[in-house]
Amino acid sequence: MRTRTKRLLAGISIGLVIVLFGTGCLRDPNASNRNGGGGGEAIADGGTTDGDKQVEIFGSFSGAEQEGLEKELKAFQERTGITVSYTGSSDFATIIKTRVQGGDMPDIALFPQPGGLLEMAQLKQVAPIDTFLDYDAIDRTLVPGFLESARLNGRVYGAPVRMAVKSVVWMPKAYEEAGYSTEVESIQELEQISDRNRDSGTAPWCIGFNADQSTGWVGTDWIEEYMLRMWGPDVYDDWTSHRIPFNDEKVQQAFDAFGKIIKTEGNVFGGSDGVINTPFGDAMNPAFQDPPKCLLHRQANFAYSFYPKEIQEDLDNKVDVMKLPRYEGEYSGSPVLGGGDLAGLFNGNDPDAIEVMKFLTSDQFGQLWAADGGYLSPHKTFDQSKYPDETTRKIADMAADADVFRFDGSDLMPKAVGSGTFWTGMVDWVRGNKSTKEVTDEIEASWPK
Amino acid sequence: MAEVTADAPEEQRSPAGPQSPSEHTGGLRRLPKVARLVISVLAIWALIAGIGTMFQAFAYYPQYFPKLLQGVLAVVLGVLGAAAVFYFINLFVESLPDRVSGRILPYAFLLPGVGLIGLMLLYPTVQTINYSFANADSTAYVGLENYATIFGNPNFWSAMINNLLWLLIVPAAVVFFGTLVAVLADRLPGSAENVTKSLIFLPMAISFVGAATIWGAIYAYEPSGQAQTGILNAIVTGFGGEPVSWLSQTQLRLNNLLLMVILIWLQVGFGMVLLSSAIKGVPEDTLEAGRIDGANEFQIFTRIVIPQIRGTMVTVFVTLVILVLKVFDIVYVMTNGRDNTDVIANLFFREIFANSQSGVASAIVVVLLIAVTPVLIYQVRTFRKEEAMR
Repeated sequence: MRTRTKRLLAGISIGLVIVLFGTGCLRDPNASNRNGGGGGEAIADGGTTDGDKQVEIFGSFSGAEQEGLEKELKAFQERTGITVSYTGSSDFATIIKTRVQGGDMPDIALFPQPGGLLEMAQLKQVAPIDTFLDYDAIDRTLVPGFLESARLNGRVYGAPVRMAVKSVVWMPKAYEEAGYSTEVESIQELEQISDRNRDSGTAPWCIGFNADQSTGWVGTDWIEEYMLRMWGPDVYDDWTSHRIPFNDEKVQQAFDAFGKIIKTEGNVFGGSDGVINTPFGDAMNPAFQDPPKCLLHRQANFAYSFYPKEIQEDLDNKVDVMKLPRYEGEYSGSPVLGGGDLAGLFNGNDPDAIEVMKFLTSDQFGQLWAADGGYLSPHKTFDQSKYPDETTRKIADMAADADVFRFDGSDLMPKAVGSGTFWTGMVDWVRGNKSTKEVTDEIEASWPK
Repeated sequence: MAEVTADAPEEQRSPAGPQSPSEHTGGLRRLPKVARLVISVLAIWALIAGIGTMFQAFAYYPQYFPKLLQGVLAVVLGVLGAAAVFYFINLFVESLPDRVSGRILPYAFLLPGVGLIGLMLLYPTVQTINYSFANADSTAYVGLENYATIFGNPNFWSAMINNLLWLLIVPAAVVFFGTLVAVLADRLPGSAENVTKSLIFLPMAISFVGAATIWGAIYAYEPSGQAQTGILNAIVTGFGGEPVSWLSQTQLRLNNLLLMVILIWLQVGFGMVLLSSAIKGVPEDTLEAGRIDGANEFQIFTRIVIPQIRGTMVTVFVTLVILVLKVFDIVYVMTNGRDNTDVIANLFFREIFANSQSGVASAIVVVLLIAVTPVLIYQVRTFRKEEAMR
């Protein structure tokens, strides 16, 4: 027995020593990246063969979105003779990384978040747009501020293909019928309307945070709206890039200002339990009941796709939309919060890929897709008659008329915060488990160093 | 090579039995011993390096290897290569002096298997421990900083407490209910017993995620005044109560308990099956003897049946302990750690996949590993003891 144990121990230690020799090192921080394509002078030279009239696009669209995109690409192919093939994956963020590491990048990728694009820019894998597009011309027609999200060390690495607008307040027709105004000047005025509404016995706001593992992102959007409206885009940029701490006085004031809406007793249908447990897509359903249980719902332009079928089919006659108004205070502008899909060019030497990029980022792109619904062009000059309904046109106008456009801040923050502690912090804060100070302190502490 | 191995069975077997390799080496056997040694070492090296390079090529140049070709090559070269490696290991050992070769041979044949286990199990374990002292992308050592981070994080301690609660409650509950059901079902007539046991075993076939979804429909909450889709709240409001947001009930960590119920529901069937067969294995004459001595049914159960099925109870308990330490899916799907329901496995998942903090995540895994070790040692010991008793 003794000798057996000894032998066993000896065996295990020899094994461990061997393994330790094999593992004793860490990863090489300067691992080089292989390039798939060859030749040429451009900064980024990945992708497929140059100049063969074949262009490969990789993105995250699937289903109806993919159909819309492919309609556009097919029309482009008929016009120019360049074959564009699109592949989409819901796991885009991970796959694009592995493909780039393996030297097997597409010619063009459509990034749903600027973070992924900037990561590739850092690795010098995507071409800055000024090397192949007329930067000033694009900047003139785009909603102001859009290109800022793709800027790294002064150069812009991607241009938007599609836009999402988050600062939309949706109301059932019952809201107007009850005599409330759809032309609201400021958040303060909106608060007065909510108060009147609450006094008449209906909860004014429909808010749902639940999104399974992502519960809380709706709340982060709200805080971003307040940050942008109360302090303007410069402070907003400082906040998302951590030039001011997350527990800054201004951030705390934004939390407290939003608290007037979400934390006032009777102001939100279902109270804090309702907020946490209601899926964000179902949040507005009580507004369509008779009598409506709540009247105001702030959610992005895609919110209607979750509404009951009979509402979707007759959107213009069933709902009203307005832009979440400006905040009466330090900053006087009326900004819009949103998001967008950014196209990045991996193959800077392929004239065909550049041709496709020019099309994707122009105000001509999206006319066929828009007719199907679900598409908003980031260009102010886009032909509005192509949108399927008045509601979509109104939302497009909100962005076009905005003083400034800013990207969803939680997408710009490190993932540990933007899709981690900021989400969970919102849940704790709404429930009242933690004060504004406690929550913002904790999020600040979780910011990666 | 394939021809060589195909020839082998026709050759005469040596008296040492089927494991003796001496006749299996075909043409190469005629070479001098030293040449055979050199050839076999070179061949083993070439095979391992060659197959390794092939797989590396798949990863680096996927454009030259379509998926189907990769699959075919992997299967053909993998299987043939493995056979060839064994062939040359055999040749090598056999070329050693007879006295040595007989003793080394079994170990030589174990080597590839043990090596693979080392590669798949030992290597990642040691690497994880190594990475737990490194930064978020494992490029530089940071000392004990990761451990300081997790031990200084109140959420980590909350998760530890929850894991402890899971450990204390779930295995015990499963053993208790499993035994209860097994004993009661044992008294039912044949077909009724089978039906009952099948029904209780049924949840075992459901994945954790599926079970979480099912129980999600039981705990669901709608604001007061709306139709309640959750069964529990439908009952509560049916009796005139206010709907309760069940999974937010943090008092006494009730919400954790509600999550544990799901795992207990899933695992009672597993406990029942093992315990039931153990109970059926209790010799009838020991029960008879007890009855003759005047013991009542309860005494028979506690003093005669229980001691004889204790080993099985321990097995069920320990299996559940290990399962509970790894519990993740239920928490991830139901709450993702909201309202103090986090567990270590979920914390780890969040750190590595959501936050890309591989250092902190590794440190959490190391703590988990240390926590499991005593249980594993205990399990191996009891297993040994039971083997010894047989």
